[in-house]
Amino acid sequence: MLGSSSRFPATLSLVGCLLGLLFASYSTMDYAEHLDRGLHDVHCSFIPGAPPTSEAEACRAAMYSPYSALFREAMWGGVPISLFALGAFAFLGGFALYLWLAHERAPRVAVGFFAGVGITPLLVSLVMLTISVTKLGHLCKTCVGIYISSFLLAIGAVSGLFTLKGATRPVLSLLFVVAWLLALGLTTLVPAAVYAASVPDERPYLNKCGSLKQPKMTAGAPVKIHGSRAIQPVMFFEDPLCPTCRAFHERLLDEGVFERLDVDLLLFPLDSECNWMLESPIHPGACIVSKAVICGGDRTRQILEWAYDEQVYLTRAGKAGANVLRAAIKQRWGDDLLRCVDDRKTDVILNQHLHFASDNSIPVSTPQMYLGSKRVCDEDTDMGLRFALKELAPEVLK
Amino acid sequence: MSATGAEPTPPVTGAGAGVGAMAGMIGAGGGVVLLLAATLGVKAWVSSATDRLEHPAETKAKVAIADQAEVAYCTPRFKEVLERVLHSCGLAQDETRRGCKPADVKTFASISDSDFNELFTPLKDRGAVILFDEGMQDLDEGAKKLLEDKWFQRKGARYFFVVARASKSGNQAKNRALSHRRANSVMFDLTSVANDPEIDKKVGLLWLGNEFAQLSKDYCSWPTSRANEKCDEEAINRSAFVSWVDCRL
Repeated sequence: MLGSSSRFPATLSLVGCLLGLLFASYSTMDYAEHLDRGLHDVHCSFIPGAPPTSEAEACRAAMYSPYSALFREAMWGGVPISLFALGAFAFLGGFALYLWLAHERAPRVAVGFFAGVGITPLLVSLVMLTISVTKLGHLCKTCVGIYISSFLLAIGAVSGLFTLKGATRPVLSLLFVVAWLLALGLTTLVPAAVYAASVPDERPYLNKCGSLKQPKMTAGAPVKIHGSRAIQPVMFFEDPLCPTCRAFHERLLDEGVFERLDVDLLLFPLDSECNWMLESPIHPGACIVSKAVICGGDRTRQILEWAYDEQVYLTRAGKAGANVLRAAIKQRWGDDLLRCVDDRKTDVILNQHLHFASDNSIPVSTPQMYLGSKRVCDEDTDMGLRFALKELAPEVLK
Repeated sequence: MSATGAEPTPPVTGAGAGVGAMAGMIGAGGGVVLLLAATLGVKAWVSSATDRLEHPAETKAKVAIADQAEVAYCTPRFKEVLERVLHSCGLAQDETRRGCKPADVKTFASISDSDFNELFTPLKDRGAVILFDEGMQDLDEGAKKLLEDKWFQRKGARYFFVVARASKSGNQAKNRALSHRRANSVMFDLTSVANDPEIDKKVGLLWLGNEFAQLSKDYCSWPTSRANEKCDEEAINRSAFVSWVDCRL
């Protein structure tokens, strides 16, 4: 039981706020760093002070997800929600410091107010945690750092109520609550407002990532995937075993964009078994899975999405050997599809896709998206996706 | 002991209220400092990114660009000869003239017979020798199958070369015409098999008659369309050597 003179609640709250500020700073810093349209390492650790790392798929996926920022159509990348956390933790940190210093002289209304607003970061964290688990399928460590900080803050803030029991405290007007709420609202918005006012205009850079020299295939044809409300022709170069392609596909689905696309899919497996542009396989087995996608017919989209959903398993199967992968394809899609995969005609089609890539001198990377003959820059397919689409193909967002 | 069971607390005095007010000011100051630090940090990070965006570093990491294959046998000399074939035989441009006859090859290749053949040695396993009956240009089933196999093993190559020959039997004019017909025969078969509207831009035809770069009996050890038949110097020159070439030309 906490005594009225216990400083534990305020101390815990202050620690939670400072940790929250730190993790929110990391998250914001990573986001802001990418405004230069480059690819950077990101912070992805529970340990405060851990350096950024390139091994941060979950944190990167969270950063690129539609849930990481607001107003993503209005400005490139949008306003990251970590900015609101920065402002809120700053206010709550100051308030926790006040409660710590005021100790048992802190008015009841202040302790009660802090208990009320101190749980709001936890509530937001619970919402984000649910989204992470249900929509993204993984947890970003920096985000978890914020969740834990919010939890500490909430525990501290609520436990402060126990120090009030029976204690005589100064009386304060309820108008202070209104003032504090206004201050909280203001401080929560300040970093976001400064960010929004400072971000560079990315529009001049949208069309500067090259174009296809010959956008029509002369030999062979791309794989067609029609979204249910397709309106925008688009060309993708993808590798079904590439995690970035999977993340891109999921982003398009989450954004509600994929159904608006009339996709010409060119398979570009990063596997030296069929792709002569590589000295060694980056995604072993990707040639076979690509052929399964080519063979899909009416089921092309299902097979592609199956490959993305089962990517970890298929990658393991690919490393184990072609026959293991063939068995996996046969088990899921049957004999006919496997026969097609092994047919020389399918090899030829895949080869035509690869030659189309080399005839157009595209970068050896996946995924790539082309609107007409214009390449959509990589950074405009992740953080800047919604903004770029609004600028380049606004009808897909309607 | 109070009715609630709580410990009695001292009444809040004027001094206590002063401490509370001071704590409030320090807390507010602390909050402002934290907010200021966070906001200045945000401003600095965005400014730094903007600066990098507007003034990108000169040394950007190079990205590999998709291109045709280029393997070890693509020596400068080999490519030089093949490029001459491409340009001189009308493959590289949209010209109506297609293929190279022996006189052309001699002129543009500027290379001895043996050196010319030596250039193709690295293609032993990539290519194959299509064999014909004496005085004939028709492809038998084995030839068609081998040709089809080789055609569909394109990988990253852009050009497919057909080098047709005739044996020493018969006169030069007749052999020149015969090797031309053999080259065309290969081309016709490829056209029907490949179903590729741009096949003309991919296949390079050379016919050497019996005048240039005759093959020695050693070439009988290369993959041929008649692996089980007797092969001698006459037989190996009643042929068309076919191969994709994995060089950027």
